[in-house]
Amino acid sequence: MKEIRASNLWRSDGPPDVRRAVWASVAPPLMFVVLVVLLTAGATSSSRGRMATLMVVACAASVAAAAWVSVRLVQQLRAVVRQRDAFYQEFARLSKLASLGEAACSIAHDLNNPLAIMNEEAGWLQDLLNSTDTHADVMRREFAASVEQVQIQIGRCREIARRMLTWTRNPEEPSGQVDINTLLTKTLYLVETELVATGVRVLKQLEPGLPLVMGSAAELRQVLLHLMKNALDAMKGTGGTLTITTVRAGDAVRASIADSGPGIQPDVVARIFEPFFTTKGEEQGTGLGLTISLWIVQRIGGRIDVESTPGSGSAFHVTLPTAQPGDRPAHNGGTG
Amino acid sequence: MRIVKLLLVDDEARFVETLSKRLTARGFDVQGALSGPQALDLLRERPFDVVLLDVWMPGMDGLEVLKEIRRLHPSVRVVLVSGNASITAAVEGIRLGATDYLLKPVEIDDVLAKVEEAFEKKRLEEDAADRSG
Repeated sequence: MKEIRASNLWRSDGPPDVRRAVWASVAPPLMFVVLVVLLTAGATSSSRGRMATLMVVACAASVAAAAWVSVRLVQQLRAVVRQRDAFYQEFARLSKLASLGEAACSIAHDLNNPLAIMNEEAGWLQDLLNSTDTHADVMRREFAASVEQVQIQIGRCREIARRMLTWTRNPEEPSGQVDINTLLTKTLYLVETELVATGVRVLKQLEPGLPLVMGSAAELRQVLLHLMKNALDAMKGTGGTLTITTVRAGDAVRASIADSGPGIQPDVVARIFEPFFTTKGEEQGTGLGLTISLWIVQRIGGRIDVESTPGSGSAFHVTLPTAQPGDRPAHNGGTG
Repeated sequence: MRIVKLLLVDDEARFVETLSKRLTARGFDVQGALSGPQALDLLRERPFDVVLLDVWMPGMDGLEVLKEIRRLHPSVRVVLVSGNASITAAVEGIRLGATDYLLKPVEIDDVLAKVEEAFEKKRLEEDAADRSG
């Protein structure tokens, strides 16, 4: 039921009822102050003493009331943040499923290669069986080589199946140590179809020997995939170059995804991480991709910076804290 | 009848090797290349009738190789081989001048039919050129 609560929270058919919420917070303490003041006024006999006591009591009651209001507001804010986090988590999960659909295309291609080889090996064995003039020892050697190939190709298929399972695994992975270079390479592979279709070139400048970074491979892949897709969208129809760079930046590692598209206007850059802000039109963009990417990265203590010059492309720099040696080694990029 | 000179281009070495053996056994003169640049080198060195060209290859992809072949060797016929069921690349390939396309895994009879058809087209073109020339 998480989705329903989340959608209620963000429903676009009107703002939340702010007046009622404020009244619900303010009315009880207000009534409390009035009641205390009235009771005190009734209980004190001399008029000067009554005045002084009234002021003291009114002040004390107001302070108590203000404290009560603050506590209520903080509680409400916490509830809103919890709901937002649940919604972002759910949205990230759904986005991952959507990317899986898109990745199916490259998975099909990957499966077809070993299948094509096994098909040829089976055909070749059939050819050998049909031939009458092949020597027994040649036949034996060819058979052995073909069977070995079939086994090798089955191994490739198994590896692809394993990778698919990793992709659909629950995003609730523990924070671990991620090899960002491997993760980037594997993520690139998920946009291979689009790269071929759009004729975009890839320039990889990955610094070797980088320390591992914090975070879950599945979530970081989601962020990188989103940034790559945005970069490809920016170059749609024009070709261009997708530049993937990693560098060490002090105690952190910076992964940059840059396009050679038309760049982003400054007023758009200023709002680019706002929820529901999109330039893609309702059909294509939810306006949540970058919001959630930033949310994922900030949760592990990282940041995303945008650099764009209209006319000469944009770059998104994802800075991620490096994992400490004591952190639990879990899901590195290699599992993706 | 002339032996068809066939160039098989695919980055999967074993695919090239086994399909070459099978096509050689069926009377074709087959040579293999594992990348686009290697295929273009071979085309410069000796004549081919038909190129069986994989669409998805690392580095220079099949469509780029196709463009080069069409530019440098316009008489050579190209049949694309795609591991991806997406029709987009095939349509783009035909637009760029490929004669036909096959989907992986390929059936040997389909390969034979498409290669022979491509060769036939090339031969007819050459005959027409001879007559007019």
